[in-house]
Amino acid sequence: MPPQTLRVLYSAFRMAMLHWFADPQWVIPNVIAPFVFTFVALTLFKEASGSFGLYAVLGGGMMGMWGNTLYASGFAIDFERWQGTLEEVVAAPSNLLHVISGRSVSNALFGLTNMVAILLIAALAFRIPLGIANPILFALSIVLTLLSVSALGLIFASSFVLTRSAQVLTNGLEFPIYVISGSMFPIALLPFWVHPAAYILGPTWGIDAIRLATSPQYASQSFWAGTDVNVAIALNLAMTLLITLAYVAIAAFLFKKVETKSRREGTLVQA
Amino acid sequence: MNIPKLIRIFFSSAVFSFKAQFEWLNPPMWLAMKFVMSLSQMAFFVFVGRFLLTADSSPAGITDLVAFIAIGNAIMMLSWNTIFSVINITSNDKWGGTLSILLATPTPRLPLFVGRAMIHVLDGMLSVAISFVFAIFLFGVNFGNADVLALLVVVFLTAFTMAGFGLLIGGLAFYYREPLVFANIFTFILLIFCGVNFPVQDLPQPLQAVSYIFPLTYGIDAGRKAIAGEPLVTIVPLLVQMSIVGLVSILLGYSSFRSFEHLARKTGRMEAE
Repeated sequence: MPPQTLRVLYSAFRMAMLHWFADPQWVIPNVIAPFVFTFVALTLFKEASGSFGLYAVLGGGMMGMWGNTLYASGFAIDFERWQGTLEEVVAAPSNLLHVISGRSVSNALFGLTNMVAILLIAALAFRIPLGIANPILFALSIVLTLLSVSALGLIFASSFVLTRSAQVLTNGLEFPIYVISGSMFPIALLPFWVHPAAYILGPTWGIDAIRLATSPQYASQSFWAGTDVNVAIALNLAMTLLITLAYVAIAAFLFKKVETKSRREGTLVQA
Repeated sequence: MNIPKLIRIFFSSAVFSFKAQFEWLNPPMWLAMKFVMSLSQMAFFVFVGRFLLTADSSPAGITDLVAFIAIGNAIMMLSWNTIFSVINITSNDKWGGTLSILLATPTPRLPLFVGRAMIHVLDGMLSVAISFVFAIFLFGVNFGNADVLALLVVVFLTAFTMAGFGLLIGGLAFYYREPLVFANIFTFILLIFCGVNFPVQDLPQPLQAVSYIFPLTYGIDAGRKAIAGEPLVTIVPLLVQMSIVGLVSILLGYSSFRSFEHLARKTGRMEAE
């Protein structure tokens, strides 16, 4: 990766961090849903034994990452539009995709803090055991899922450049991903026609890897049931990586298209 | 008192507040989001419920968990309009720079204040109707015994009283810079407190008392009874309790609206920046 690209990624990442520290209350709208959903699921599951608590807590963490990333994609573009700086960002010689990528990773990273908070609440308030069977694979699964969620956010961000309804889309796209990726329940429960949509989502495989790395108790419910746990995690991570790379390629193509269209038609600000 | 003038203010402020949301949202998107939000929120919790049923487990006292969750979420959908949108009315005025102009007018505040919320009552009822359709056709909830009149009254009164609660919280929008934060918090915590997905009795004891400050708690309970076929007359006590809570919310909301208006004028915090 050229040093210039790395500099743009780092600057965008740093700017998103500075925005967050300057006005941290903005993170609330994006983390409140995962907190509440986890609380509701844990209350429903409190009498059930087995891996129910694991589903609720890890699912809540993944949802936190997704909520933050979607916010990064949606609100960041609307924010630039409101402040009148969107034209400058697009007019700069830096690739818009790199700018949004830096922000997206930064916000997904904040989602991780949300995951830690959810884990702590689950442990303290609901007495959910938080032992992690394989910490290294758990960390690797988290990082890859985070990247996958960020890359998915990039695809949505490309369309947000064209619309002034990014805020609404941000709210509207949050829940469907929670459902389709099976964040808090096995996707086998979803109607069969939803399964293809679940399989093309990186977080679907990522959360499977995270659950397997956390507890072998989950192995029988994994996509790779019957396979050795470490092999199953590796397969999940390979799928997550493959899908993430595909997302990045699609996002790069869409950003190019959208940028050209908005420049040609002069619709960037009043879109 | 000029009654026709008050009525005109009430209706014009209702229509303007509805139209104002299309400044940042186009009508097809508004309708699409109504369907997406209703379906995805309900589906999420229904599948969580179905997952629980795979372990032959269910919260005590619930015979049909899927119906319990689907109905709870369907009625809760009106909160997106009556809490989230109502809180955001003032926020949008603030960010649009029109709040100072609005408050500089000699318009009586009560019809202006209530009128702005009321269109969201109808919008909220539409959200509930769409959600009921999903509950019936996608999740197999039985509405065969429902007392339609009772259900209609319950949904209207719940939306009306929740809009009152939205106004109460909306008063904060005058003074605080980011009312959207309150809008999100107060919309989502209803999922915890109002018996949407599990009975209020499943909450820790100290939290149960909090549940009854939200009109939605009574509304969801009454809605489930109406769908089970209980006639309006047996639901009336719940509706009376809900109306009292809603009325108190509107009065407190109006009073906080005036106080925060006064405070914002005094401290110069009416604008977004």
